[in-house]
Formats: sequence, C-alpha cells, structure tokens
Amino acid sequence: MTTKTTRVIAMALLIGLLLVSCKSSVSENIGEKQSKECCTTSADGSTAAKLPDESVYNLSSVWKTQKGDSVPFSSFHGEVTVAAMVFTHCASACPRIVADIQRIERELQPQERGKVRFLLISMDPERDTPERMQEFAGQFQLNDHWTLISSNEDATMEMANILGVRVKKLSDGGFDHSNTIHVISPSGMIIHQQQGLAVDPAETLAALRGLLKAA
Amino acid sequence: MVEIQGGIYTPLYSLDSQKITVKPFSMDVYPVTNADFLAFVKKYPDWKKSTAKRLYADSNYLRHWASDTEFPQYLSNSPVVNVSWFAAKRYCECEGKRLATTAEWELAAKASPTSKDGSRDTAFRQWLIQVLSKPSGNATPAVGLTPRNYYGVYDLHGLVWEWTYDFNSALTTGESRGNSTLDNSLFCGGGSFASKDVSNYPAFMRFAIRSSVKARYCVPNLGFRCVR
Repeated sequence: MTTKTTRVIAMALLIGLLLVSCKSSVSENIGEKQSKECCTTSADGSTAAKLPDESVYNLSSVWKTQKGDSVPFSSFHGEVTVAAMVFTHCASACPRIVADIQRIERELQPQERGKVRFLLISMDPERDTPERMQEFAGQFQLNDHWTLISSNEDATMEMANILGVRVKKLSDGGFDHSNTIHVISPSGMIIHQQQGLAVDPAETLAALRGLLKAA
Repeated sequence: MVEIQGGIYTPLYSLDSQKITVKPFSMDVYPVTNADFLAFVKKYPDWKKSTAKRLYADSNYLRHWASDTEFPQYLSNSPVVNVSWFAAKRYCECEGKRLATTAEWELAAKASPTSKDGSRDTAFRQWLIQVLSKPSGNATPAVGLTPRNYYGVYDLHGLVWEWTYDFNSALTTGESRGNSTLDNSLFCGGGSFASKDVSNYPAFMRFAIRSSVKARYCVPNLGFRCVR
C-alpha cells in the first residue's frame, strides 16, 4: 500500500460530501449508454485554441436548453458563470440549491448581475426535457440570466466528473448527489466551489466579484 | 474477452430490497498493459503524456513513462497505471468497448478460482485479505500472475485497483461541513452501516478508493480493463 493510496483512503473517510436523500436504491443498466464515438476530445477548433488546458469548455458534448436549442457546451465560454447540477423532479435538495443561487443573485449589485450567467445542468437526462426545464424555470421564476441544460447519459456522467459531482441513481428515479455550486471563469476555470446547502455565500460572492473585476 | 454470466449484485451498503440485476457481458481477461496503452496513444496523439488535456488527466498522467512513447521495458506487460478515468474510458471506446459498471465489476470479482461466488469460501477470502495487506511496491508485476478466476479472468484482485464507469456513485457522508453526522444523510433510515457483509474488508477498501478519487486523478496503483 503506497502512502498515496493510504492518503486517498484516509481522504475517503474524512472528506465530507453533504448528500440529501433517504431512499433505497437500485441502479439501472447505467453504463450501457456509454459514448460510442471515439476520440473526439476537443471542442471546435476556434475556441479550443484559446482555452486553457483545464477549461471545462474543452468538453465537446452538445446540450439542449429549456428553450429547446441545441448548444455545444463550449458555447457558454466568455461569461462569468454560476453553475450547479440538479434534477427538476428533486423534492429536497435541488430547490434548496436553486434558492441558494438566487440568494447569490440577490446579493449582487444590478450592474454585476447583468454580467453573470446562472446555469443549471441536469443530472437526469431521461426526464429533464426542454419543456420540463422550462416549466421548472417558471416555477422558480428564473429570469433571462438563467439557462437550464440537459444532454444524454454519457455527457452527463462526463460533466459530473469534470465538476467533481458525485451522483448515484436511486430506484425511484431520483438521485443521491453532492450539493455543489460552482463559480466558473469566462475561460472555463472552476475557481470556487460552494459545498452544502444554505451555506453563507460570502466566499462565493468574493470569488464572483474577483472574476467580474477581472472581466 | 470472456463471458461473465449475469447475476444479482448487492451493493456494499444496502437493504434487501436493493439488488442490482446485471446482464451477461464480456470482460477483458487482463488489465490494459503499458504496451497496450502505448499502441493507443500512438494512434490517438490527443492522449499522449505531453498533450493530454489537464482537464482530463492531472499532472501525474503516465508519470512512470520516460516520454510520450517510452517506459521501462520490464513494465511492458504490466498494467498501465497513472491513467485517469477519462483516459481509461476513451481507451475502451476506441476499442469498441466500455468501462464496466461497478455492479458488473464487483460481480466478476466475486468469483474465486473454482466458483462464481467465492464470498463464502474461507480460503479465497483469506487470500484476498492477504494480497490487500501487501504494499504495492514500486514496480507493478506483469499481468496474468495471480490465480485465474472461475470465468477465466486474471488480476481482478491483488495487482492494481481498477476504474469503473460509475465510480462516482460511491458517496461517503461528511464529518464536518454542515455538521452532518456520519450517517444521517446517505444511509438514512437504512441502518447506516447495514452492510450485508461487514467482514468483507476488500469490498470496503474498493468502496473507499472509489469514493475518494476524482476522474482526472492519476494514481500509481490504479489501472483499468474494458468490457463489452
């Protein structure tokens, strides 16, 4: 057992992920829908050339918005973004996550607010259709600064792994998942992650304002 | 590849109602080796040590390789390690295969040399614990030296840890943030550590590894194999 492995295991036992769920679970045939295309790793060349190596906008997957548009994930580059993975049928944690992002939105000055995109990324590609996401946006009175997107199972799995979000499918169709709000720079660097629910957003706001000043 | 019969997998932390039905699938007999991986990076230069994007692999990617195309000769037939989940997944896709789900992997790994289910075989369990308690050492041995299991698969135990497709579904609960107690949110009501088999130490080890790595991590004793 190497020290690194020991450290990794120690981390496993120490690092806390706040999860909210209370269901027994059965995973389905997850994995069978893994991508069949091979080695299409870079986003379209025009943006890829300018992106840092760690940029999330290197992802080449295509997503559908609540308005029904198909957009490559890379098209979100260029704007300061507050993102979170959620699913719209979620009864407990996700409404809380949305409320937490809305709190961040409220704390921003009007001129700051106009420069930030709020992005909700679905972890439930099966049920989160554009119509359903539109409905959800209406329910939470999300304004034009908010975008909701969903894709396919494989793109969703990659996205969760890019953002470091843990997701476990449950037998009732729901998910256990990490509650994380990500602050992403215009070039696609994850510069801050707010872990947990109803957390004081001071640090997140500071990270956001730092980006807005630099932008 | 060899055929793995389907079956029922009961996750480590579970109640009787939580069983996962696994359909039959084929599995690589050996983990992917350094030589295999070299052929892959030559064909797909995006994944060379010097060009792989940091988004997909941390700075330890292929750390044991001297360059984009060189590693110590004696490691040729050893499992490739220091590879991220993204690299492993892409390799399998390029082979027309995929990474095993955790349920598939665990089902295959339950087999002893003589039976599909070695979980009650004392000698097999003793051996598992014995191989786990040995330090990895610096040089990874070649593939195919551990006992062949019932299906004809080698090295699921005792050589390197292996990536699974949905490794990130292993969720551990927290100790500090939001003052959650150790078991209140993940295993609520279910009897937190109602593991089916508390003496299955190797399974806990694998769960701990899966819950602590991130997809871009490259670790010196974590490799992979593919299934179809």
